[in-house]
Amino acid sequence: MYWYHYLGLAALVVFAVAMLWHFLRLIREGNPKDFSKKTGNLVKAEAYAYTTAMMPNHKETAYLHIPTFTAGALFHIGTFISILLFAVFFFISPAQFPLWLSRILTVCILAGAACGTGLLIKRMVVKKMRDLSHLDDYLSNFLTTLFQLFTILYLMLPHMFAPVYYIEVTVLLLYMPIGKLRHVLYFFAARYHLGRFYGWRNVWPPKK
Amino acid sequence: MEKLTTEQIDKALHLLKMRPDSKLETHLNACVHCGLCAESCMYYKTLHDDRYMPARKVELVAALYRKYCTLIGRVAPFLVNARPLDEQMAEEMTDALFGACTMCGRCVKHCSIGVDIAYVVHFGRRMLAAMGLVPATLQATVDAALQTGNNMAIPTADFVDTIQWMEEDLQDECGSEARIPLNETDKNILYTLNPREPKFFPLSIAALAKIFFAAKESWTISTDMYDVTNYGLFSGNNEHAKSIAKRLHDEVFNKHCKILVLGECGHGSRANRWEGPNYLQHSYEFETITAVELINTYIREGRIKLDKSLNQELVTLHDPCNLVRNGGLESELRYTISQSVTHFKEMTPHGIDNFCCGGGGGQLAMSEYNERRIAIGKIKADQIRNTGAKVVVTPCHNCVDQLIQLNNIYKLNVKIKTIAEIVADALVLE
Repeated sequence: MYWYHYLGLAALVVFAVAMLWHFLRLIREGNPKDFSKKTGNLVKAEAYAYTTAMMPNHKETAYLHIPTFTAGALFHIGTFISILLFAVFFFISPAQFPLWLSRILTVCILAGAACGTGLLIKRMVVKKMRDLSHLDDYLSNFLTTLFQLFTILYLMLPHMFAPVYYIEVTVLLLYMPIGKLRHVLYFFAARYHLGRFYGWRNVWPPKK
Repeated sequence: MEKLTTEQIDKALHLLKMRPDSKLETHLNACVHCGLCAESCMYYKTLHDDRYMPARKVELVAALYRKYCTLIGRVAPFLVNARPLDEQMAEEMTDALFGACTMCGRCVKHCSIGVDIAYVVHFGRRMLAAMGLVPATLQATVDAALQTGNNMAIPTADFVDTIQWMEEDLQDECGSEARIPLNETDKNILYTLNPREPKFFPLSIAALAKIFFAAKESWTISTDMYDVTNYGLFSGNNEHAKSIAKRLHDEVFNKHCKILVLGECGHGSRANRWEGPNYLQHSYEFETITAVELINTYIREGRIKLDKSLNQELVTLHDPCNLVRNGGLESELRYTISQSVTHFKEMTPHGIDNFCCGGGGGQLAMSEYNERRIAIGKIKADQIRNTGAKVVVTPCHNCVDQLIQLNNIYKLNVKIKTIAEIVADALVLE
């Protein structure tokens, strides 16, 4: 292991501790106490909130915005693959990856990075998006897209890009808990509360 | 806007810092500013004003949260848009959270993350209420309820006159046994009304009384506390909401009734069925159901008989947000309609995806925003027109009021009826 591996590992520890703090805070604060009489099934509603309710045909934010939704999905897939690879890289050097696998991963991540760049440009160009955005929005997208690009470079040219890859990952991991990227945790919490709210009142799952 | 005092700001920030559970924390941290919620909001769709995007409404409260409740917001406010609570912020919040949101929750269901935007808007209203910045007309409605027992300040003598008049009409149709019992005790049901009924739509009271008569129900209305509405839900003052809810809760005990039946009012049903026990911080000791559920039960149990051929005109249904998207009564409503009318056509979209009429969230009470309310109502008017229906049924008197105005302004040429009215029209008396 080189110094940059330790740097990445240290950032990962800081990230994990910070996100754990966010998580434990939510647990400590707990569920809202609801004294009304429950009429629905919370388990079914929670399952629905995390599955069917997320399907593109169930949300206007998806089916009215197919290009943006698709770009967002690909951007996230690219990110997930890059995160997975970050973990794998501690055990297997990119140089040991078979060429066919490196190429497949590169194409997938490149698609994600391209979509990330597209979304960043949209945020800068479209007035309603610009009005909604602040520095954190641009920085979060930029760091994540850069993470994907450096993952590709590290995958292709490991000896040349190893230090810069780990430095970028370090910045990203340290920034995640303080910027909007912490939605990596709060997304799940939001779906949980939504499922609970609609499930309590027998709105979800829909009865048709 | 007048300069905010330190006391006003402290009261609002106290609420923000006293987060009782993880729900608010979650929703203030979850929005990713994708902006895709814009097209789910009637205000943005109609007025095309970026400030009215649901995400912008959440951002107002979230910016305060970051400023006063996060380290990064204090250290580097420019990075995360952490903003102080000042006059400009209060003005923006008042305009967007009171004046450009019906709290219908349509954006919530469609949010790509699942942020409960309506919940955050309500919290923002609570902060404004703590600073005494509730729009004057909405506050006047709450004050009327607190001072007189009903939000329209109807004198008891006038109310009794109206009920007696309706009872005479009912007896002409159904015989002398049909009654609208006032202030009786030990009945099965304590029934409640939206004060718009005695004031403007007394026939809907007669319609429900006819259904009760057909079902041989044991029921009563209290002249002391019959108002199902609770505008404290919309003003954001939970103490006011609690006082109003408590009076209705206590009246069930005063009259020794077993079931509290919430009249046809979306927000009133929500305020008493779902929020009331939380305002009072204890479960209700009696059953609380809506008129929709009660009528549904009568039909399913065969306690009333209907002849749907008596309603021949094409009917469509407007789903009140607080009864359907926020109350789970989508299928109950449709079952009742299916048993009551011959021809029915759904709006597009409908059910939990339905658009608000535009009068929710206290908008009907806030004349400051009348122009916007009518403008956003065009979506509902177009929905109705596209069905080709001659009758619009909705179990909410606030919706009825808004739909009547939309009917006139957008020249829809439809009749607006409540569930009780459409069911009473199909009722077969034995």
